[in-house]
Amino acid sequence: MSGTMAEQSIPQGHELLVQLENIFESDPLIDEVGFVPPAQIVELNEKADGLDHVTTHFWSKDHKLAISMEVLKPLLQAAKDAFTVACREYKEFANLPVDEICLDSPASESFTENEVMKHSKALLLLSCDFRSAWNSRKLVASRRKSLSLYMEELLLSKLILSYAPKSEEAWSYRRWVIKMIDGTFPNMQDILKNESKLVEGIAEKLKMNYRAWYHRCWLVSYMTAQQVFDEFNQSRKWAELHVADNCCFHYRRRLMLRMLEDYLLQQTEACFLYSSDLSVMWNEELYWNELLIKRFIGREALWVHRRFLAQCWIKHFVSLSSDTPLDGFLDHELELIRTCMHVGGDDFGDNEVHADLASAYILWISPQVTTDRGAAFLAKLKKSGDVNILAKSCPGKKLLLEDLVGNQSLMPRPIFPSVKTPLLALIPSSPSLWVSIFPSLRTAAILLLPRRTSATAYLR
Amino acid sequence: MGELEIDKHVQYILDVEKKRDFESLLMEHIRMNGAYWGLTTLYLLGKLEKVDQDAVVEWMMKCQHDCGGFGGSIGHDPHVLYTLSAVQVLVLFNKLDMLDAEKVSNYIASLQNEDGSFAGDIWGEIDTRFSYCAICCLALLHRLDKINVEKAVNYIVSCKNLDGGFGCTPGGESHAGQIFCCVGALAITGSLHYVDKDRLGWWLCERQVKSGGLNGRPEKLPDVCYSWWVLSSLIIIDRVHWIDKDKLTKFILNCQDRENGGISDRPDDAVDVFHTYFGVAGLSLLEYPEVKPIDPAYALPVDVVNRIFFGK
Repeated sequence: MSGTMAEQSIPQGHELLVQLENIFESDPLIDEVGFVPPAQIVELNEKADGLDHVTTHFWSKDHKLAISMEVLKPLLQAAKDAFTVACREYKEFANLPVDEICLDSPASESFTENEVMKHSKALLLLSCDFRSAWNSRKLVASRRKSLSLYMEELLLSKLILSYAPKSEEAWSYRRWVIKMIDGTFPNMQDILKNESKLVEGIAEKLKMNYRAWYHRCWLVSYMTAQQVFDEFNQSRKWAELHVADNCCFHYRRRLMLRMLEDYLLQQTEACFLYSSDLSVMWNEELYWNELLIKRFIGREALWVHRRFLAQCWIKHFVSLSSDTPLDGFLDHELELIRTCMHVGGDDFGDNEVHADLASAYILWISPQVTTDRGAAFLAKLKKSGDVNILAKSCPGKKLLLEDLVGNQSLMPRPIFPSVKTPLLALIPSSPSLWVSIFPSLRTAAILLLPRRTSATAYLR
Repeated sequence: MGELEIDKHVQYILDVEKKRDFESLLMEHIRMNGAYWGLTTLYLLGKLEKVDQDAVVEWMMKCQHDCGGFGGSIGHDPHVLYTLSAVQVLVLFNKLDMLDAEKVSNYIASLQNEDGSFAGDIWGEIDTRFSYCAICCLALLHRLDKINVEKAVNYIVSCKNLDGGFGCTPGGESHAGQIFCCVGALAITGSLHYVDKDRLGWWLCERQVKSGGLNGRPEKLPDVCYSWWVLSSLIIIDRVHWIDKDKLTKFILNCQDRENGGISDRPDDAVDVFHTYFGVAGLSLLEYPEVKPIDPAYALPVDVVNRIFFGK
């Protein structure tokens, strides 16, 4: 917008601000806002009847509000100016430090409070991450301590998230309000349920929304064991329909870790809920994930999820349950990898990605495996004849692999000469895997690694 | 490979400051961060002298509150995010003596919680980003003794995930930006032994996509800003050789607006100061000629950091 020319034909910012605030006052339930080209406002106003408000620059009906993009700049400037004045006056009342300002007209506290709420709302609508405006509302709400006001504040945040779903401040504000409600008012459980629903709705509109899903993860620590369990069951369907959304799978991981934590801590409620079911549940998640991996080719989020599932499975469940021995699990994983490396041809390179992800997965979980089993696992891997494919299909990790096996000629590295440390740290028990991939390293690997009967026997 | 359009980027940054359009009005609340991004870029490109330093400092000092913290702009509430930027800019200008370091440090120390975490301001939102801001800021002011460093470190470690990465709070999803903050804070406090370097290095090097650019988490598109977050973390944990540096350099250079200056998130998108800084800082980490070296943990030029810690 080029300043003066555009501003000549539109009213002063102050007038626009009054119009906008009147609309809000007459309909506090506005739940969606859009910024539209001026021509569209004209069109909307012509078409519709029974409008709540008829102005040249705004349109509002059925709790929806449209604002002409043409007026955004003067409106924002006016909102900012009005807010700044109101906020300073209010802080004076609240007896908080303000910058040097002389108040020439005394106003009543509740009047100033209303001014702050009115102007900060208009301001936040136009500039959603304006932190000081959110803060001023926190100040008012924390002094009033009324549940109905807190609930209204959640609505305002929701309104802003309707067009700015990534707004960090709008999400942070919700957490502040929830913390204020927690412990003082009895309806936390309902609020948690609504919050979860809200995140799901917003995540639907904008995929992989880190801020939204972080908010949902944050809620987990407030949930009862039953709620955690319900959330876990309810989020499955959504994940299935959004297999590329790593955030949702992370949310499931968060819930699973909370259940595991509760179980390990032997909390009464949790014990009653999960007890032996936890390993069954883990197994089901592995099975479900496998189905999705086979159905949706080349989806990184699914493989990332599997890494987590396998990592915890090996650590927590293999030793607990005699009917799920490690060998069986690893055999199964090898079979899965094999299937994934031989998917039929396509034109989009998805299969290549799929095979790459599968290789990375098996390399990722190998350090989790203990010495003896590891050697047997690798022997199988070698026997299966897939090792070459494995090495070949990991182009994305070429540099990483080269470094780990110490092929200095391929990747000169003046600063980081240590080969031994990363190799030992990453694959402490599976040296032979690297040797299988890069046979020329056999001697080096034997020299580098502590001697382990099973591993060296395999190398011979 | 195209060259880095140094003169155009310098001009772009100098012009941004003068703009008074809707966009700049929208960004007013983070102007302090903008100052840090723009000025550090100018420093890395050897053109800091083009700025009226006294005028910048005068404006900055008006953003400071009685409590010691800085706001994002004049009249805006104080927050640790802007306080760090203000301190960084004063360090760039070699004007830390303008500051009552004791007061600023007390403000930051007041934000530490019992569990070692840091709130961003008096309203209590907790995030490992704020831990980084607090730790980096206090280190630059030589006042890390104001906080309980051990607890601060333990809190960051409690945000580590099984994939080796870090999130905002315990259980939060790994994100390259958060990882930089956590790894940076651990580096500054000499606590890198808590990082699972190979596991994290693996996760970070998987951020490189076919085009050579880096994304910030699985399944996302590449973005120039991750050239900073991912690359600096990889350097700190000694694993930067696990990515293809040439391809990344090419990706960043392709994101330049060769006509009007500035760098965008991806090729052909609109440029902004944020991405211009992260692009140039990324190239600096990649040892691109004509760009001064930057320290991966303090996010300040190496010679500036040396001046602070070794009096050089």
